[in-house]
Amino acid sequence: MTDLFLVYKNLTRKKMRLFLTCFAIFIAFLIFGAVSALKGALDSGVEMSADNRLVVINKINFTQPLPFSYVNKVKALDGVKNVTHANWFGGYYQEPSKQLMTMAVEGATYFKVYDELTIEPENYTNWMKNQTGLLIGERIAEQYGWKVGDKIPISSNIFSHKDGGHTWQFTIQGIFKPLDQKTDTSYVILHYKYFKETQTFGGTSVGWLILTTQSPSLNEQVAKAIDANFVNSAAETKTSTEKAFNKAFIEQIGNIGLIIYGVVFMAFFTILIVVGNTMVLAVRERTKEIAVFKTLGFSSMRIFKMILTESFLLSFIGGLLGMVGAYLVVGGVSKGLAGILPNLLIGPNTWAQAIGYMLLLGFVTGIIPAINALRLNIVSAFSRA
Amino acid sequence: MSEKNIFKLTNLVKRFTKGKETLSIFEDLNLSIKEGDFVAIMGPSGSGKTTLLNMLGGVDQPTSGEVEFDGKGIEKLSENQLAKWRASNVGFIFQFYNLMPMLNAHRNVELPLLLTQLKSKERSQRVETALELVGLKDRAKHMPGELSGGQQQRVAIARAVVSDPKLLLCDEPTGDLDRQTADEILEMLQLLNREFGKTIIMVTHDPSAAKFANRVLHLDKGKFVEKELSL
Amino acid sequence: MNSFLSQSFAVIRMNLLSLPRRLWMSLAMIIASAVVVTILLAFLAMARGFEVTLKGAGSDDIAMFLRDGSAAELNSVLSKSQVDLIENAPGIAKDKTGVILSSELYVIVDGIKKTSQTAANIPLRGTSQTGIKMRQDFKLIKGRLFNTGTTEMIVGAGILRQFDGFELGKTIRFGKNKWQVVGVFSTGGNVFESELWSDYRVIQNLYNRGSSVQSIRAKLVEAGDIKQIKEYIKNDPRLNIDVETEADYFSAQGKSLNYMAIFGKVISSIMALGALAGALNTMYTSVADRSREIATLRTIGFSNSSAFVGTLFESLTLSALGGLLGALGAFLLFDGMSTSTLGGSFTQVVFSFELSQDLIVQGMKMALGIGLVSGFFPAWRAARMPVLTAFRTE
Ligand SMILES: Nc1ncnc2c1ncn2[C@@H]1O[C@H](COP(=O)(O)OP(=O)(O)O)[C@@H](O)[C@H]1O
Ligand SMILES: [Mg+2]
Repeated sequence: MTDLFLVYKNLTRKKMRLFLTCFAIFIAFLIFGAVSALKGALDSGVEMSADNRLVVINKINFTQPLPFSYVNKVKALDGVKNVTHANWFGGYYQEPSKQLMTMAVEGATYFKVYDELTIEPENYTNWMKNQTGLLIGERIAEQYGWKVGDKIPISSNIFSHKDGGHTWQFTIQGIFKPLDQKTDTSYVILHYKYFKETQTFGGTSVGWLILTTQSPSLNEQVAKAIDANFVNSAAETKTSTEKAFNKAFIEQIGNIGLIIYGVVFMAFFTILIVVGNTMVLAVRERTKEIAVFKTLGFSSMRIFKMILTESFLLSFIGGLLGMVGAYLVVGGVSKGLAGILPNLLIGPNTWAQAIGYMLLLGFVTGIIPAINALRLNIVSAFSRA
Repeated sequence: MSEKNIFKLTNLVKRFTKGKETLSIFEDLNLSIKEGDFVAIMGPSGSGKTTLLNMLGGVDQPTSGEVEFDGKGIEKLSENQLAKWRASNVGFIFQFYNLMPMLNAHRNVELPLLLTQLKSKERSQRVETALELVGLKDRAKHMPGELSGGQQQRVAIARAVVSDPKLLLCDEPTGDLDRQTADEILEMLQLLNREFGKTIIMVTHDPSAAKFANRVLHLDKGKFVEKELSL
Repeated sequence: MNSFLSQSFAVIRMNLLSLPRRLWMSLAMIIASAVVVTILLAFLAMARGFEVTLKGAGSDDIAMFLRDGSAAELNSVLSKSQVDLIENAPGIAKDKTGVILSSELYVIVDGIKKTSQTAANIPLRGTSQTGIKMRQDFKLIKGRLFNTGTTEMIVGAGILRQFDGFELGKTIRFGKNKWQVVGVFSTGGNVFESELWSDYRVIQNLYNRGSSVQSIRAKLVEAGDIKQIKEYIKNDPRLNIDVETEADYFSAQGKSLNYMAIFGKVISSIMALGALAGALNTMYTSVADRSREIATLRTIGFSNSSAFVGTLFESLTLSALGGLLGALGAFLLFDGMSTSTLGGSFTQVVFSFELSQDLIVQGMKMALGIGLVSGFFPAWRAARMPVLTAFRTE
């Protein structure tokens, strides 16, 4: 028999209470893990944005177009490395509810700007040769089970095809993959030129420009130069880093996000308080036993440690189970939600935070009874009973 | 019984202060107890028997005065030093047994041995010996809840003697037991005193329990009134 | 029966009187149920507020025309010739000046959100006098209406709450064009308040829309009756147009935040399981704490069902207190709270959390559910407790 065994015996003396307490902690951490994953998924666009990438949009709003001529004008500016452009297609597959993020891009420059994406050279060449060709992201390929060579109809809820209807036929020519698994690839790209030629509005406007600078230190200077270049023109621009742009986009969802996290974390801490209360009371019930231990000659410090160990054990059993549960749940739903919420995963940060909270819970719930035990006066403990 | 004093109390004063009120239990109490003696302390409820025992066991401190154990004062020791002292010198037996409800008899008895350097095998042997001594070898795996009061008290005695302390302090050890069971327990204490040389100090208000002792002290109004065993 | 009732009352009274003995455990149960309810209500009130804001905008006697398949105004385009054809459709009400119909379009412009100080989408809607009249709840709070043919605009009250820089008298630049804010309007809290309004012809001119619009609103002769119009559209191949009542359109749009309600229900249900575990702990502790009393009463001759009822009542009382506290918390924290989010039309919808009575009822049901389950099993234990065992526990 060791002290650890005594801790174990104390912990398991009331099986029902142990189970219920563990379960409550389990639930708390399950929610914590799942909601943190959700938050991480929403923020991942910001996190994964490249340092030297800028986004140029119409100053009125990013849904307003820019003249095509801006592409070359921006390219000519100092400090600009590569420029590409994209148009929002408003795509869906079969039914309007099955949204498919689709963009019309310039193939020759797109992968120069998004150099964290890779594609088989052969597939890329084929795509460049085929104007009805489509490239799909790895996540889309996984989600729909599409392969190179598949013929896919994609409809637009904005544009109409010259030949009538809103649907275009495409052939998948390749699948682009990210270098870092967290990079979002849940979208498809088609040729800008083909898109402009076949939709009814015509015109040559582009949705927005994306460019890379020679170095991140030039970002501000380049952004200013671009906006200054088009000031007082028909389409003034607003240039920001990809990070800032993504962040502003997330902010559009608004403090609703904040409310969710606020509310959920409030709940998380409440459960911890409730659980902590149970644990404190559980030790208080044992006041007399602790007095016996002391009478037998166990040192106060030794009892102090035993009580803390017990609370840490409890917190870690429930907490780790909860995190494993969250891991399983998140893993289970992330495939299904890949289209809406890519990067739904429990990152190392969340694990670290969770461990931190487990330590905190173990400490806070253990320290009060442990100190009480440390201070416990044997005489009054017995007379109290 | 040797002629050596195991305890010597000199000018012992004990007062409880609660707020403004001071309750005086002992004023200038003096007492010597010989090593190997079996002393019963009797007296009406509230006369301070438990308080005295607590001071002898080093779980309570006198307000002033000296408590000498084996020639050394223990009243000045720190809490940690006292814990160590208790672990090696004193075995306690309580009225309500105070066994750990979640541990079986064997493990309850083993508890004091956790405070020694003994290896687990040696510990087991000692526990078995102690349980055998109290006649509960076959109940080693039983939980306290599965034992009768007398059996629980015998486990508690095994626990008190397992680390082989010189001194046993018993506070109303038979207060919760019927006559026959009480006598069995008292015989066991007597045996421990006679055969194993343990010094036993037992608080009781039961005259027939006191008969098992060699010496009976009557505590009344903070003073000892020594009487002969001719009750 | 009578005896059962009087026994039960006696036991309930004793249970409640002994509550202070278990103060902390009881408080823990109350707080846990309260928080579960607050969370549930926060999400429900959010979804409800959003829904009400959109639904309130829709009227049953207005037909709404969009390009087929576009689902939202944002994606729709209608040509001048299509507008002309719709003007001749049957079933549309007329007044002295002709059919009551408003062609509308909007540009999405940037507004700076007060909360985050970042740019967010808001709609600059082009409408007309007729269009304004068609919004029944329209009220000009300050200033005047925009003049036709000018770059004047009026601002919804919701925009003023959530965005900087749209105050009356301000000049605002969208691209190279300058706009003057000449009025502030309210539409009774619905989604139109999250918009900027001006003359649709000016918008067509300034933002290269030619003569196209995005939507048509037309007053119906008979509320809700769009059958004739549907027929008319079907028979004309030039009209690739969807029509529905404005009420239907907005009630579909209002559902776009329903995932919030679902999310809230899921998360609070999971949370409820955690709270339930805590509550069970409380109630088992309570039974253990009262075991002597229960045993004593049983010895005297009280029935075991009275022990059951007493325990169950205690847990229901605690959870109901928690539910009320949670509803109060949700009310104080969230009810009426103004916020904005991206709506189905890709623009900001300013709305307020709405904690209506039926939602509070849902919250209370959740709390009482916790009380019922967490009371039942311990009550069962109390009822089955053998009298002798109860006496033995110290
Ligand atoms: N911790 C304490 N604080 C205050 N008074 C105490 C305390 N412990 C004991 N007393 C008082 O001291 C007196 C003696 O108590 P005790 O030694 O327990 O008596 P006995 O064991 O002889 O019945 C009693 O009047 C009791 O109320
Ligand atoms: Mg006493």
